Amino acid sequence: MSEKRNISSFDQFRAILHKDIVMELRTKEMLTSMGLYALLVLIIYYVALSQAGSAFEVERIAGGLLLLAIVFTSMLGLNRSLVHEKDQGCLEALLLSPVDRPVIFFGKAVGNLIFLILVQILIVPLFYFIFMSGSQVQSGPWWMLALALLVGSIGIAGVGTFLATMSVNTTGTDFILAIMFIPLVFPLLLVVVAALTAVITADAGYTQVYWTMLAAAAGYDVIMIAVAFALYEFIIGA
Amino acid sequence: MASTENKDRIAEDVLALDVAHLTRKFGVRKALDDVTFQLEQHRFLSIFGPNGAGKTTLLRILATLTAPSQGSDVTVLGFDVVKDAFALREHIGLISHNPLLYPDLTAEENLRFFAQLYGITGADARIDELLDAVELTHRKLDIVRTFSRGMTQRLSLARTLLPRPELIFLDEPYSGLDPHASDILDALIDGIRDKHTFVMVSHDLERGLELCSHALILARGKVVLFEDKETLDSDLFRATYRETVGLGVS
Repeated sequence: MSEKRNISSFDQFRAILHKDIVMELRTKEMLTSMGLYALLVLIIYYVALSQAGSAFEVERIAGGLLLLAIVFTSMLGLNRSLVHEKDQGCLEALLLSPVDRPVIFFGKAVGNLIFLILVQILIVPLFYFIFMSGSQVQSGPWWMLALALLVGSIGIAGVGTFLATMSVNTTGTDFILAIMFIPLVFPLLLVVVAALTAVITADAGYTQVYWTMLAAAAGYDVIMIAVAFALYEFIIGA
Repeated sequence: MASTENKDRIAEDVLALDVAHLTRKFGVRKALDDVTFQLEQHRFLSIFGPNGAGKTTLLRILATLTAPSQGSDVTVLGFDVVKDAFALREHIGLISHNPLLYPDLTAEENLRFFAQLYGITGADARIDELLDAVELTHRKLDIVRTFSRGMTQRLSLARTLLPRPELIFLDEPYSGLDPHASDILDALIDGIRDKHTFVMVSHDLERGLELCSHALILARGKVVLFEDKETLDSDLFRATYRETVGLGVS
């Protein structure tokens, strides 16, 4: 006797992603905490820059400020994304099913990327409104800014999902991500900040700097995702 | 990457469990030490032992959730637990004291999610059939977080049975269940035990003995007793169990 099965890695990926989105839309746990935290970071920036004076060109550091707000916010959400799998033993149920471990990684990472993008849709316009509304600088096109943020977010979501998985299988759930995340994404931060600054300031020849930095960021994404893909089975613990 | 396949039934003459020289070390400590036993299909094995005896480690290795140390030779339903783990997972299920369900999804959403992971065709009918069997049809669209412990465990049973596993691992399944939920679990196990193999870890000596066809006692990672219930001397078994509980953790 046999039973018809249609096991497809793509369907499994879609099922994991759909499940995470449905749960998040129902609880709004990650989006609410990440959104509120991002707002608080912007308020801290505002206070820190309030005495800088009118001669200070915020455009020169806007790319860095923006990306740091996204990095801090992502750390909060990424940690939660795997903890709820672990809480009810759901991670074991996932591991018991005939799913290739990299499929779990991609399902979780793409979910985290979507939540990160949703938070950016809130904070990027707000950042511009608070810090750049009086700026005389003519920035580059908005899609170049969005593209740089997307490439940066892909790396952040990939590395963050990998480390979050590692951390749920250890006793140091909270601090592993916090301690290892920044050193691992440091090269990505450097190049994405350079790309963002290039497009925000739009100095002469900025497109060349922008595309060079973006290519480096994309290369980082490919390498880190390939590493996560190869090691995920080992770090997920089965 | 899509693939359509038939999930073939396991041949009757294949051993459900063939465990040879199973060792698992955590650092220098041996959680399991040269464990060897065999179990035929359609049997019910109850595993007893004190806390820290290695029961859960044994169950996790058999369920492909933990890898054995080198030199171990473990097959489940003819599949090597390391090399053939992916294929084996289609044939096994686990009922734990943890529900292994998403509390923020409905009963139906939980079952549908796992049906997609297992590539089950015609999932709607199977989900309805299982919800009916565990008397949860009326709560199909309710979020699991609102369920009582007994209801959650019944849904957990439905999740386990969804892919029609040939071998079911039970990790303290009666823990925290009310009498009604325990009765339903008993009835469901009774209804399918002729066609399934069960491996249960339990501290409940009476229930474990009542259900089993074979009993195994672990202490300090070693098999102290492995016996067919037909030939089991009940008094000797209880005396051995009391003795091993005193041995504690390795």
